[in-house]
Amino acid sequence: MLVVALFLGLMIAVQFRAYREIQQTVPIQRVQRLMAEVEAARKERDLLQERVAGLRAELDAATAQTGLQPLKKKLDRYQIGAGIVVVSGPGVEVILEDSNVALQPGQNPNLYVIHDEDILRVLNELRVAGAEVLAINDERVLANTEVRCIGPSILVNNKRLAAPFRITAIGDPDNLESALRMRGGVVDTLQQYWGIQVSIKKMDQLTIPAFKGSQKYAYAHPYLEEE
Amino acid sequence: MLQRYFSIALVGLILGLLLVLLFRTTNQGEPTVPGDRAHELTVELKSLTQERAGLEAEARDLEQKLARARLGYVQAEETIRTQIEEATVLAGMTRVAGPGVRVTLMSRTGATPPGAIFAIRDEDLLKLVNELRAAKAEALSINGQRLTATSAIRLAGAHINVNLQRITPPYEILAIGDPVSLRNSLEIKGGLVETLRDWGMEVTVETENRVIIPAYKRPLVYEYAKPVLEASP
Repeated sequence: MLVVALFLGLMIAVQFRAYREIQQTVPIQRVQRLMAEVEAARKERDLLQERVAGLRAELDAATAQTGLQPLKKKLDRYQIGAGIVVVSGPGVEVILEDSNVALQPGQNPNLYVIHDEDILRVLNELRVAGAEVLAINDERVLANTEVRCIGPSILVNNKRLAAPFRITAIGDPDNLESALRMRGGVVDTLQQYWGIQVSIKKMDQLTIPAFKGSQKYAYAHPYLEEE
Repeated sequence: MLQRYFSIALVGLILGLLLVLLFRTTNQGEPTVPGDRAHELTVELKSLTQERAGLEAEARDLEQKLARARLGYVQAEETIRTQIEEATVLAGMTRVAGPGVRVTLMSRTGATPPGAIFAIRDEDLLKLVNELRAAKAEALSINGQRLTATSAIRLAGAHINVNLQRITPPYEILAIGDPVSLRNSLEIKGGLVETLRDWGMEVTVETENRVIIPAYKRPLVYEYAKPVLEASP
């Protein structure tokens, strides 16, 4: 009986004190407050993204008169280039996962995880092979998309992505695949030297989403005068 | 008898509480939160706020277009033309001008050559461009070749190709955006430019009031990618 009561007292006290102490530290209060704000802002952002996508679809329907089709075809082409429409087509799916190499003591583990440069090189190789549209974990790659290591995650279009990374590319599946698998090429280096796990799959049909944000330029303006 | 048990239990309970107090007070002084969580969240919040502002402007713009397009055939045609114009700019098919930076890169003359393995490679240019993109560059070119979403920068033999066109040193990257953040992203201590200089390359980064970046010169052709039209809600 005594032992049980002692134990119970211990448990209650631990629970209570630990909870209260953590709750009351300023750092935790700050973090909680900020987390709530980030969560709210993210929800609002998602709603706005849906609204923009909905409006684009409505506008598309509103301009679908017969007679305007040739003009719309032209618009499609530029909108694919600008990354503002969903596209589908054949291509490849490349999945990159961190290294499975067993590290020796003293080795830098950082060298064996996926870096931004690895993804940059895979993207570049796919571009050489004629990729028409690219995405990383469904984030559309635009002309000004960055791929940047931030701690263990990677920032793409200012969105935080985590491994495994799934790169999708629309184009000739055979060309895209063979460019990656070239002997001594990107995939060889990643796999054999750094132990990064790469899988490449040819796809008959894959869909790449549109860029979900807005792309208003603050600094660049069309320059139309003659030189 | 029952009362006796009860008092023993009570004593045990109090003893337990005291023990824990003692233990916990001796165990203090560890920080509860790694300092940069709050910082990280604040950065995220700021970027979300910016994103929202951009999306709101976009939605307003689309609403105006929609209202206009619904007026009739002529207005619908006009709206499509406006949309084409805007998409043309984003796709890199027009020449653009604005403030930014001019980055030049060449092998240093006269310095002890650190060997061919540190000669300028495609990946050095790729990384420079990526840094500039991360610093919110809006438009980019290398030696007159506009960089689009599908532009490759690649060594082919002894030369670097951009958009399948051969370019030769010195390499000049132009970027439009906030000149100071663009420059700082490259010149930051321990950053990319410092590393390239350590490798014996000559790198200059100059801010400019106006750089002119050419249009992508090839036609946009999509043989494989087809637009998927989202169903109207």
